[in-house]
Amino acid sequence: MLFVLLLQPTTYNLQQKFSVNLLLLGMSIMEYTITTNNLRSLINDLLKEHIVYAPKLVSANTVLYKTIVSFDEYDSTALMTNTSAKSMIYPQTNRLFEFAKTTDGMVLKEDEEVKKSIIFGCRPCDAKGFSLLDNLFDWKGYRDESYFSRRDKTTIISISCTAPQSTCFCNSFEDWGATSKVGSDLLLIPMGDKYLVEVVTEKGKKITEDGKYFEPATERDAAIKQEIEQSVAELMPKKLKLGEIKENLDTAFESPYWDRVHLPCLKCNLCTFVCPTCYCFDISECPKGYSNGERNRTWDSCMSEQFTKMAGGVNPRSDSKRRFRQRVMHKFRYHVDNFNEYLCTGCGRCIKYCPVGIDIRRVLEGAK
Amino acid sequence: MSNIYSPNMARVVEIINETSDVKSFRFEFIDQEVYKNFAWKAGQFLILSVFGVGEATFTFANPQTRRQFVECSIRKVGLVTEAIHELEVGDTVGIRGPYGNWFPFEEFKAKNLLFVAGGIGIAALRSPIEYSLDTRGDYDKITILYGARSPMDICYKDKIVRWQDSSNVDVTLTVDRGNDEWKHRVGLVPIILKEMNPAAENTVAIICGPPTMIKFTLKALSELGFTDDNIVTTLEMKMKCGLGKCGRCNIENLYICKDGPVFYYSKLKNLPEEY
Repeated sequence: MLFVLLLQPTTYNLQQKFSVNLLLLGMSIMEYTITTNNLRSLINDLLKEHIVYAPKLVSANTVLYKTIVSFDEYDSTALMTNTSAKSMIYPQTNRLFEFAKTTDGMVLKEDEEVKKSIIFGCRPCDAKGFSLLDNLFDWKGYRDESYFSRRDKTTIISISCTAPQSTCFCNSFEDWGATSKVGSDLLLIPMGDKYLVEVVTEKGKKITEDGKYFEPATERDAAIKQEIEQSVAELMPKKLKLGEIKENLDTAFESPYWDRVHLPCLKCNLCTFVCPTCYCFDISECPKGYSNGERNRTWDSCMSEQFTKMAGGVNPRSDSKRRFRQRVMHKFRYHVDNFNEYLCTGCGRCIKYCPVGIDIRRVLEGAK
Repeated sequence: MSNIYSPNMARVVEIINETSDVKSFRFEFIDQEVYKNFAWKAGQFLILSVFGVGEATFTFANPQTRRQFVECSIRKVGLVTEAIHELEVGDTVGIRGPYGNWFPFEEFKAKNLLFVAGGIGIAALRSPIEYSLDTRGDYDKITILYGARSPMDICYKDKIVRWQDSSNVDVTLTVDRGNDEWKHRVGLVPIILKEMNPAAENTVAIICGPPTMIKFTLKALSELGFTDDNIVTTLEMKMKCGLGKCGRCNIENLYICKDGPVFYYSKLKNLPEEY
């Protein structure tokens, strides 16, 4: 086990703050195996006390994270869901509170506790997205309970990728790849008719504690895992030189490069909505009758003209170029300056679904 | 409240009509415990809720030394501010904050202070002006230059009289277009500033106003010999959360709601003009 740890030291440094890191507790990382049949039983058991979200085929070519009622609804064939797992914890619209005018004055009512849930079949790139969001929502002394109330009650069971697509670039990030664990509570690595199970956090350990579905992993399993990691690495497209890109972006704000590169962009906001890390939001009012209503938080997009437009009409990012530049700079420069990590997991959805074929990798490589 | 977006309830206790489109509102927290713990400093801002309409960001108009209520001066300019202007005494609003940084008065000690405000920018400078008057002994000369479009657009008329009566405070008022009753200056703020010719030595200029005024005021200050590290300003950006999370008020990696809104010009001028 120690060997594996030495290989990926930074992965453990990046471990989300609030999750109990087993290594820090002086415990060794535990590994098990589980057969496909036992996994089915495990998920069906978990369904009794949890809401389980998993990739589900909803129409031809569309696989989304949905609530499942039995393991059989899980679609294990899709490499990637069309949208990220983000909305399972950070919903597109999420009520912050309700307000009502009563005889005691205006009264706020916050939502009751959320139910325990499981995101099953999450890909490591989506799981890492949550680790990035964790840092943002607990930043600068303000802990966002409307996010963490769901996050803390959610266990993420990820399944590593075996066949990356041409749009994938998770391997560009340091110590990152198809079998990385950041953001996951349990990581499952497919090995034919069984999975190798890596326990990453206390929450993950809880799932394995019952023990009846799990077998301890053998040295042979560890060796197979390495072979799998190797073969997946060979399938990955070429890596981006992110260090170099960051240095270029540091001096590229005024570059004429931005005058041209944004031109195809339609400002449709799609890239920000399918992204596992785009977190920008709006706070809006939903009145109900004369004196009641609710206040909601909804996803917003830096690509939208309204995003920075002030009452009175002044808009610091009034044109397409400025907004396009903001998105690239935020993810690969500003966020790195503030958090020492890129606001991207390399899932490639923004490339795959862009209606005009903008490839963030090409945009980054050309920036000077 | 466990939710960082949940405001505290407050009541409108007084409304002052400043001009045809600016009103000052005084609020009192309904819960006295909230009021006790609600400590702000001149330069910070709050987020005000009108339930059923939404939230908007305003600077504190009164300083921490005059904290018997929370006061904001608000120009009617958009959806939420229109609803605020409809409020009556006794109505309930929500307040969350205080947010952002403040004017670094500890760095202004023993210096001359030059306040330059244009238009509604006076609302952001009222709290540092009144704070400096309340801690008058800490500074040398205090000079205030305030410009508005017309005599009808001058805010805080009563307060300005009191500022003028304070010891060793020089107040200059100017308007773009005067009328027969106007006894003060007529002309744009940067031009009047040049005519006033304030000494740059040992002086901090604290400025706030519309972008064009700021641009030419900075030029005038530079010509008067003010260095960039002796000019302080406060920025306005669209904000939703006030907590550095909603993603809209950044200039490069700085969030105006957390790292600002108060900046030395020496820092601001190295940032791209995306504000």
